Amino acid sequence: MGNDSAKIKAEALSDFSKFIGPMKVRTMKAAGLDIIEHKREGVNVWDITGQRYIDCQTGSGIMNVGRRNPEIVEALKKALDTYDIGVFLLCSKPKADLAKKLAEIAPGDLNCTIFGVGGGEANDAAIKIARGYTMKKEIIYTQRAYHGHTGFALSAIGRDAYKEPFEPLMPGFIMVPFGDIEAIKKAITADTAAIILEPIQGEGGINIPPDDYLPQVRKLCDDHEILLILDEIQTGFARTGKMFASEHWGVVPDIMTVAKSLGGGIYPISATIFKEEIQDFFIPHPFIHLSTFGGSDLGCIVGMAVIDYIQKNDLAGHAEKMGLRFRAGLNALLKDYPSLLLEVRQRGLMIGMQYTNESIGPRMTKKLADRGVIAIYTGNDPSICRLMPPLVITPEEVDFVLNALAESMKELSGEAGLGKND
Amino acid sequence: MATSQEILEALADYQGQCNENKRLRKMQRDWSRLIHFVAEDTGDTFTMNVVKGEIVSFEAGANGTPDIIVTTTSENLCDMFWGDLNPSQKYLSGEIKVKATQEDVIRLDAITMIIWPDV
Repeated sequence: MGNDSAKIKAEALSDFSKFIGPMKVRTMKAAGLDIIEHKREGVNVWDITGQRYIDCQTGSGIMNVGRRNPEIVEALKKALDTYDIGVFLLCSKPKADLAKKLAEIAPGDLNCTIFGVGGGEANDAAIKIARGYTMKKEIIYTQRAYHGHTGFALSAIGRDAYKEPFEPLMPGFIMVPFGDIEAIKKAITADTAAIILEPIQGEGGINIPPDDYLPQVRKLCDDHEILLILDEIQTGFARTGKMFASEHWGVVPDIMTVAKSLGGGIYPISATIFKEEIQDFFIPHPFIHLSTFGGSDLGCIVGMAVIDYIQKNDLAGHAEKMGLRFRAGLNALLKDYPSLLLEVRQRGLMIGMQYTNESIGPRMTKKLADRGVIAIYTGNDPSICRLMPPLVITPEEVDFVLNALAESMKELSGEAGLGKND
Repeated sequence: MATSQEILEALADYQGQCNENKRLRKMQRDWSRLIHFVAEDTGDTFTMNVVKGEIVSFEAGANGTPDIIVTTTSENLCDMFWGDLNPSQKYLSGEIKVKATQEDVIRLDAITMIIWPDV
């Protein structure tokens, strides 16, 4: 493409800056991530000018089955011969098929589904259902939680910066520290409808709770007739080495939300999956919660293909193996660069690297981008960088990323200002 | 290397540019911060007080409890206040270190972008 591609890229960035957001372009340019995605395949994405990157950001877990997975693309192409999105008021076979499939793979007795388009919408629905079904108002959520930017979901985000300019938000939301069971006990009242949690906090920095936390939360919910909502939007669909992260602790929620990878990176779809008894809320109000594009025929067909692919290829097992490969390499980096890397948190291919200070995250992001790896520090805490590559990553590709990390850290260790107190 | 006097002169100009820019003042009207600037090569420090988007004062010395601490070379400080460098690039490359929330890091860069859009 040569000069043409450079010109197209410059124009795209300029138009993005003018018509969408100049600070986004500026920030991404500074990070070496002013990428205009062009070709996408497996774990790879190519900038329009031809530079290849291994995508370890993947929109925080959209691409579990890989970028433009050929089987998923084919499923959508074939579906387009017959289907459009469908009319949301009507009953639909693709919707029924996917809901049945989700009932099969979801933990415990989560048999019923309502569909949406994005994760925020799925969490909105979960919170609405919890309030409607229990006829109670309060929702307990956690610090550093991330549930989306739409109405109810935003009220349950554990980061003030996302919320403050838009206040007042929904009333009745109570925040507690993540991983702290005593704090939840203190926050429960007679009007608590639900507790909403990510089994592993993603945006918050890959925070894995103590082993007894989720089981204890489950027990508290049972004892107080509170619904447990588990947000598996980032952790779901084999990301952590199980189909759903809750399986690591044997905990069955009352409501589970999924999105991101359900769409295969091809067609947006989300789902709020819940226990059959909660379906009773919808019996007198079958049309109380609607979504024009949620659970579209096309999205459901894609969702089916995604789940089939994950099961057929044992992506959960593969994620576990590749996660351990990453872990071994990262442990070596922990040993070699103790002044840079403080801790590694990992479950399957959901990996958080905690650096020793805040300045390292942005610098590593730039150095990795220069070496063909997209891995971005968290907005919550720039000392943390997440690695969430597609689950189809090969051992060689894992090694490529580890190499890039090692080279970047070697370069960084020779630079000034890296003490713990800098 | 820039002297303390040179940095104070640059700060005076920066204050004028910021406070006279109506667009910037409107954008930052919800933002009040005490900022320390540290010249890591000379050891000189400076304090800037921003109240509802207006730089109400600046002075030599690290005074008060800062919300934000910016540390870099004296040359970079001078260039930043004159609009001669892109702060986000220097931040991502590690030449400028900022102790602040990510939102505040972006706010600081946004000031440069609004006043000197070609930098």
